[in-house]
Amino acid sequence: MTDILYLAWRYLLFNRWKTAVLITAITVTMFLPLALELVLERSTERLRARAAATPLLLGAPGSPLELVLSSLYFNGEVPATLSYGTVQAIGDTGLATAIPLQIGSRVGGKPVVGTSPDYFSFRELTVARGRPIALPGEALLGAAAARTLEVSPGESVVTESETVFDVTGSYPLKLHVVGVLNANGTPDDEAVFVDVRTAWIIDGIGHGHEDLSRPEAAANVLQRDGENIVANAAVIQYREITSTNLRDFHFHGDISDFPLDAIIAVPADDKSGVLLEGRYQAPTTSVQAIRPVVVMDELLATVFTVRQYVLAAVGLVGVATFATIALVFVLSARLRRGEIDTMKRIGAAPGRIGAMLGAEIALVLATSVVFAGTLTWFATLWGESLLHWMLSAGA
Amino acid sequence: MPGHRTRIRNCGRIALLAALLAACQPGEDAEPTASAVARRLPVVFTVSYPLAWMADRIGGEAIEVVFPAPDDVDPAHWQPTPETILNYQGADLVLLNGAGYAAWVQFAALSPGKLVDTSRGLSARLIPAGEATHSHGPGGAHDHRNVASHTWLDPIFAAAQAKAIASALEVHVPNAPAGLERLQADLAHLDARLAAVFRGWSDAGVLYSHPVYQYLDARYGLAGWSVSWEPDEHPSDAEWQRLAERLRNQRASVMLWEGEPSPATTAKLRELGITPVVFETGAWTPAQGDYLTLMQQNIERLTEARIDGGNEHHP
Repeated sequence: MTDILYLAWRYLLFNRWKTAVLITAITVTMFLPLALELVLERSTERLRARAAATPLLLGAPGSPLELVLSSLYFNGEVPATLSYGTVQAIGDTGLATAIPLQIGSRVGGKPVVGTSPDYFSFRELTVARGRPIALPGEALLGAAAARTLEVSPGESVVTESETVFDVTGSYPLKLHVVGVLNANGTPDDEAVFVDVRTAWIIDGIGHGHEDLSRPEAAANVLQRDGENIVANAAVIQYREITSTNLRDFHFHGDISDFPLDAIIAVPADDKSGVLLEGRYQAPTTSVQAIRPVVVMDELLATVFTVRQYVLAAVGLVGVATFATIALVFVLSARLRRGEIDTMKRIGAAPGRIGAMLGAEIALVLATSVVFAGTLTWFATLWGESLLHWMLSAGA
Repeated sequence: MPGHRTRIRNCGRIALLAALLAACQPGEDAEPTASAVARRLPVVFTVSYPLAWMADRIGGEAIEVVFPAPDDVDPAHWQPTPETILNYQGADLVLLNGAGYAAWVQFAALSPGKLVDTSRGLSARLIPAGEATHSHGPGGAHDHRNVASHTWLDPIFAAAQAKAIASALEVHVPNAPAGLERLQADLAHLDARLAAVFRGWSDAGVLYSHPVYQYLDARYGLAGWSVSWEPDEHPSDAEWQRLAERLRNQRASVMLWEGEPSPATTAKLRELGITPVVFETGAWTPAQGDYLTLMQQNIERLTEARIDGGNEHHP
């Protein structure tokens, strides 16, 4: 048996280019449907699980898919915002707990998610190191974000400037990392969490500067008119919130009018959920309430339909490929007639010759299976990220 | 006494809550048992003593009331540590006074669903306390309007706040309406007594050591005016000079203080024909008794001062 395998191995090695082409063709033919099936299955499972775990999502009227992808997977941006007053309005109904979400800036490419402490209990996120957020300017990092940004509790990160070409806009804010979350295999691992007020400060809605009514601020005051103080451009806005300047930070306007990308509503029970959803179904309302799982099911149904077509096409290509490979082996056997006759003359039994040809085919197939399996394993590792990227790019 | 009970419980409750939070840390086998969860009372944190007292009166034994501000810090200007804010996060409800009292709340990471602004429906009754506007950059002028914050000094306002507390507690306290009824009756009685003791005071002239008595002033029509003097600090010569100048145009025969002024300040005020009277606001947890006993002591001092003042200044 060893001699047959040895002869088959030597033949394949001698015809290395033909062997490589055959193995590549078979590997790709097996890998594509296998990887597609596995990646889609795993990704859709996780995507759907996060959507199903989010009972109700409220946002400004617009694309429900964009709202879901932005708020649940931190991919893309919502085209419009709703007001913080909606959080208070939901609280007043007593039907649900409202969790605000404001996802604007980024830190090292990671999304900065402004929310309330309810978010962490709702998503069952636990602190691995450090402590939860207590004050503005503090950040709690997802496990992957902390790893990528290479920061630990006690260190700091700086938000990316959103206004490179707007010198009058908001500036980067230094965030103090107070904790790192345990990994849970969701987009939360990639996020930098802050209190929603911190997100507003990053957006420039709130800011901190020296008290202009104090005598030592006189150099930065252009004009004083009773209670009205006009400052000049030299007033420096604080780029870091500390215990000493915290009281100098302030917001302008009514907090109820401040923007939010979305609100997660966690109803007390099913009936409360239906009642709350009903309140935002009127066409005149400026808020849309959606069930993320319904939106994701619609998206995934489209994905599955496309998958069926792709699998059918890949199947046809596979049949054609294997037919071609079979033809290659048949034609190869004919081309090797002289070689086979020589083997017969030197005493090789017909069975052993057949076994040698079969071993060549088996070796090619086995190598292809190993390669296809390895590639599929890699695909399952990176495929989900790829799918998320494709979904967000297509939204 | 309910208020006294609240004070005693503070430290123990904080320790209990801290222990619960610590037990919830990851990596520890800290899943609470069903019976422990069933035994746990709803925890209500407040930002001022009067709110804690009212919540305790309404909720009684059905809730745990926690007011964690230390005794040596004015709760209105207190800045809790991050650890204390995390304790607030662990509460079932956080009672806010509203009216800008305890400004730290607007910068603390607290769940909006747990916050109960007890002055929210009473904005029409809030008293303005100055405003400031500043402008810089392209955003135009920004207003920072302020309102007086010691709302509970008007017992009727406090009764309305109590109603808001009872509404918030309804989910947790089955007999909240009964507790509210008794509390409102006590506050109405207090209001009647204060109205009686303050009758005619607007003519005598009332001066306040600090601008914290606006609601008391408005409720009883005292038409008083205010300086910004601390009980434990002797006013400077310039401050005495300013007071003397104002006394030429504004009458004052009684001056209300949050705490006992120094003997030197007392003597000098008496020279000016002003009787100092301690009227504690109740912002701090009283060392003994509760809000009502504190107000009772205030009334006794007012009554005594009225007699003295009448003899000395209004024969």
